[in-house]
Amino acid sequence: MTKHLIVAGVALLLVASPVLAQRGRAGGAGADANAAAAAKPTPRAADGRPDMTGVWGGAAEPVKALAAGESTRILFPVRTGPDDKRIFDEMDRAAKERQAAEPNKPPYKPELMEKVQLLSDKRQFNDPSFYCKPLGVPRMGPPSQIVQTPGLVVLLYQGRNTFRTIPTDGRPHHPDADWTWNGDSVGRWEGEMFVIDTTKLVEDSWLGADGWFHSNKMHVVERLSRKGDTLTWNATVEDPGVFTKPWEMTPRTVRLNPNPKALLEEDPPCLEQDGPHIVTDDHH
Amino acid sequence: MKQILWTGGLIVALAGAAAPALAHHSLQSEYDINQSITLKGTVTKVDWVNPHVYVYLDVKDDKGAVTKWAVTTLPPGNLRRGGLTRDLLGYGEAVSILAFRARDGANLAFLRTITFADGHKLEIWLGDATKENP
Repeated sequence: MTKHLIVAGVALLLVASPVLAQRGRAGGAGADANAAAAAKPTPRAADGRPDMTGVWGGAAEPVKALAAGESTRILFPVRTGPDDKRIFDEMDRAAKERQAAEPNKPPYKPELMEKVQLLSDKRQFNDPSFYCKPLGVPRMGPPSQIVQTPGLVVLLYQGRNTFRTIPTDGRPHHPDADWTWNGDSVGRWEGEMFVIDTTKLVEDSWLGADGWFHSNKMHVVERLSRKGDTLTWNATVEDPGVFTKPWEMTPRTVRLNPNPKALLEEDPPCLEQDGPHIVTDDHH
Repeated sequence: MKQILWTGGLIVALAGAAAPALAHHSLQSEYDINQSITLKGTVTKVDWVNPHVYVYLDVKDDKGAVTKWAVTTLPPGNLRRGGLTRDLLGYGEAVSILAFRARDGANLAFLRTITFADGHKLEIWLGDATKENP
């Protein structure tokens, strides 16, 4: 079988999510890029706090659309050739290797490990995010955009068109708040660090695709710190219902979008149609 | 004998391997890489939705009977970053689609290539282009 592949074009490296904007483009140079961005001056709000306002990560990168009639080839990265018959398997295998190599797993109570494993093995049917439910706090990670005003910080997430409003006027948690996927949040400054305290999180969400469930006793403290043109997000998850101790999630650092006119794009709606056609337990 | 000619256009490698939208189900669990199918028909609908874009087409047989097919592909964010918009996926046009059938026998397949009447092609697929012809 002969196959001619003539590519007259430019290989572009593009990103698929705000998080990947750092990991993907990074690819080795990411740490340097983050260090260079962090070395820039940190802008200040009128109250002297770091001003986190801006679009973070690659979600709002401008995309040049193809012309009508133009050919293209888009390849989602899998570490084998496009014609390899094992390519679907390889996609799953690579994801499993990444998960197995993840050193930072939640500290589940020993008696719950079997449940975690069962949920993980059947994640295709159990992971709420597979079926268009929100990721929720804290799985959603760092925001795509921040609007910082006196008394209120607004967090925008391009994925699933999600928003959070974080009051910073000293009010306590809303005593009558309902249980939701993003919970009831209040914010405060601890020096240069913006701290978000979140309660009332529904137990329907997961903390990660590996069967990482939680109880409605979960309490999340996120910390955002702007240094130059970088924003570092980390979160401490307390859940005495399922953990033996608080879990520090792996921090993520995102860079300020270099385009001052960048705008988030609307994320298309989520309509899951594959579930009824899944016939094996293979999973990423 | 398969021959793919790329005389123009560009190749886009999507960075990273864990986009949130692709934290979806395994392709292996739903589609059979050994059951390729070529569908020639008219695109009747494009669902530009997460977690996977769907293209629907009517396929006519020799006697004029129409069979409805659904062909799915990567998430819309991946397509968007590859320069595609929903109006480039051939709504109302006659196309030939190379895809891989669902294991459950439904009229459902996972897209590899759309070829249009004027000869231009959109390949939306997986893999490392530096490892062609393993």
